[in-house]
Amino acid sequence: MVIFKDIKKFKHKGSFEGWAKRVTVNVALQKFRKKSIIRFDDLEESKIPEEKVFIDIEEKDITLNFLLSLINKLPPQYQLIFNLYVLDEYSHKEISEILDISIGTSKSNLSRARKLLKKEINTMKKLQL
Amino acid sequence: MSKDIDKLFKDKFKESKTTAPTEAWPVIQAKLKMRRINRLIYTFSVLGFLGLISFMLFSPQTEKTLSKPLQKNTSLKNEVILKDANVKDVNVNKDKLPVSKPQEDSKKLYATITTKKDSKNNTTKFLYKNNTKTSKKTPFFKNKLGYAISEKVVKGRINLLGYSLDSLDYSVKKNLKAERKKRRKKKDSIDVAKFNNEKGRRWNVVPVFGALNSGRFSENVSTLGTLRAVTYPDKYFDDNKSSGLISNIYGFNVVFRATNRLSIQTGIFSKELRFLTEDLFLSEFIPDVNPTNIIYNPGVEVRFSNTPDIVGSESVSLSQSILYMEMPFEFKYRMFGDSKFNTNVVGGFSFLYLNKNEIRAKTNTSSRSIGKAGNLLTTSTSLNIGLDVEYHLSKRLVLNSAVMFKKHYNTYKDYNNEYSPYNVGMHVGIGYKF
Repeated sequence: MVIFKDIKKFKHKGSFEGWAKRVTVNVALQKFRKKSIIRFDDLEESKIPEEKVFIDIEEKDITLNFLLSLINKLPPQYQLIFNLYVLDEYSHKEISEILDISIGTSKSNLSRARKLLKKEINTMKKLQL
Repeated sequence: MSKDIDKLFKDKFKESKTTAPTEAWPVIQAKLKMRRINRLIYTFSVLGFLGLISFMLFSPQTEKTLSKPLQKNTSLKNEVILKDANVKDVNVNKDKLPVSKPQEDSKKLYATITTKKDSKNNTTKFLYKNNTKTSKKTPFFKNKLGYAISEKVVKGRINLLGYSLDSLDYSVKKNLKAERKKRRKKKDSIDVAKFNNEKGRRWNVVPVFGALNSGRFSENVSTLGTLRAVTYPDKYFDDNKSSGLISNIYGFNVVFRATNRLSIQTGIFSKELRFLTEDLFLSEFIPDVNPTNIIYNPGVEVRFSNTPDIVGSESVSLSQSILYMEMPFEFKYRMFGDSKFNTNVVGGFSFLYLNKNEIRAKTNTSSRSIGKAGNLLTTSTSLNIGLDVEYHLSKRLVLNSAVMFKKHYNTYKDYNNEYSPYNVGMHVGIGYKF
């Protein structure tokens, strides 16, 4: 609805697809902000390890619904940053601009989100065994 | 197998992601671009048009200004205007000042300018200190402009301006109309969507109460006299003043919302029509003639007449009451309004069944029933039109108010439809949707 309403505001500077995606993300963020007060865990940029988290699992064992439920279980601030970084493929710089936080905060929250997700997946694995 | 958690999520989401066809985006973008171009063209044409109008409006004034003798520009006196940024040296050659024009303000100032580019050639350029050159050309322009502002041209321009304003007015009106149509369409589509969502609440039962007044299009004929009334005493009182009285209507309507705009309604009503015929007399029973359409009750030994000269006659008014059981079949069409408040036009017909037929004699102090009309048909019809206003108090409750006009047909045995009554009523009710 917002895209249809604000289509006149599209300045033809980038692709329409990108603009539509941006609008969607912004609207979702606005809704998210209205619903909950988000407090991001602040951390100095230097202290954050830019490490990837690996997990031993067969992809076929995991359903999309399960992954969605894991994301929904995350605290709102982690959920938001994980979605923006991993699923919407925004960079930390872009996330910091969108959410008005530092790059370090974005990185630290993402790192914690990954760890929590790994923990949940491992718990699920143990239960299956 | 070890897998990056980010990749795991990404891959799973990609599998189930439904995306628009890739070729759709450039098509949308191209269409948007076209719209933008059209908008720009429109804006430029409007601006151009406005420019043309302002040119036409102001150009005669400019011409007048130009045709005036050029003013002195003393502030520019002895100044050299250098337009070329490359100018680096200016030599004023006072010897070349024209002797024939001693006026200082009209003096030409000849300057030798050496530019960086043409420094070798020492190109001489003439610059003018003020508008002397323009002044020289003034007579030529004067003639031209004088011609331009001639009456004929001005008239032509005024006409042109008139046409331009007309066309602007036309285009603005056209655009406004199109915009209104567009908005109406948009609103309609929203209403249709709302209607589809409300499919469960398409029936509405409205208990209705109202008041109505009756009348006849013909002269105030009571319809109770008869053409057979020729013998004395003359009881032919159709000429007596007869008028409608306020009466009531009550019942209930059942409304079915067929589409977003159209509803069908029916119901059962009890409707009373009342008429009063004045300046009559009640006199003793005269056995030889009974020429009226009044059937007197058994035991009633008085008769209505319009002749006061009968001994013992009493001045009375005749009050006629006709009660119908009414069953309407009407269509309701929503003209304007929204989900909260809307206005409908109502049209349809009613079947009427005669339920009560009474004639009363009214004096200043009393009223008594003395008979009934003998010329009323048991069944009749009416044609109904009206305006109906609905205000939705809640999702289930609707306040309904209507102004209805109903013209009756086939009311009397011996009078044609011209004498059939009409009534105008105001109905109010609160309906329940289910």
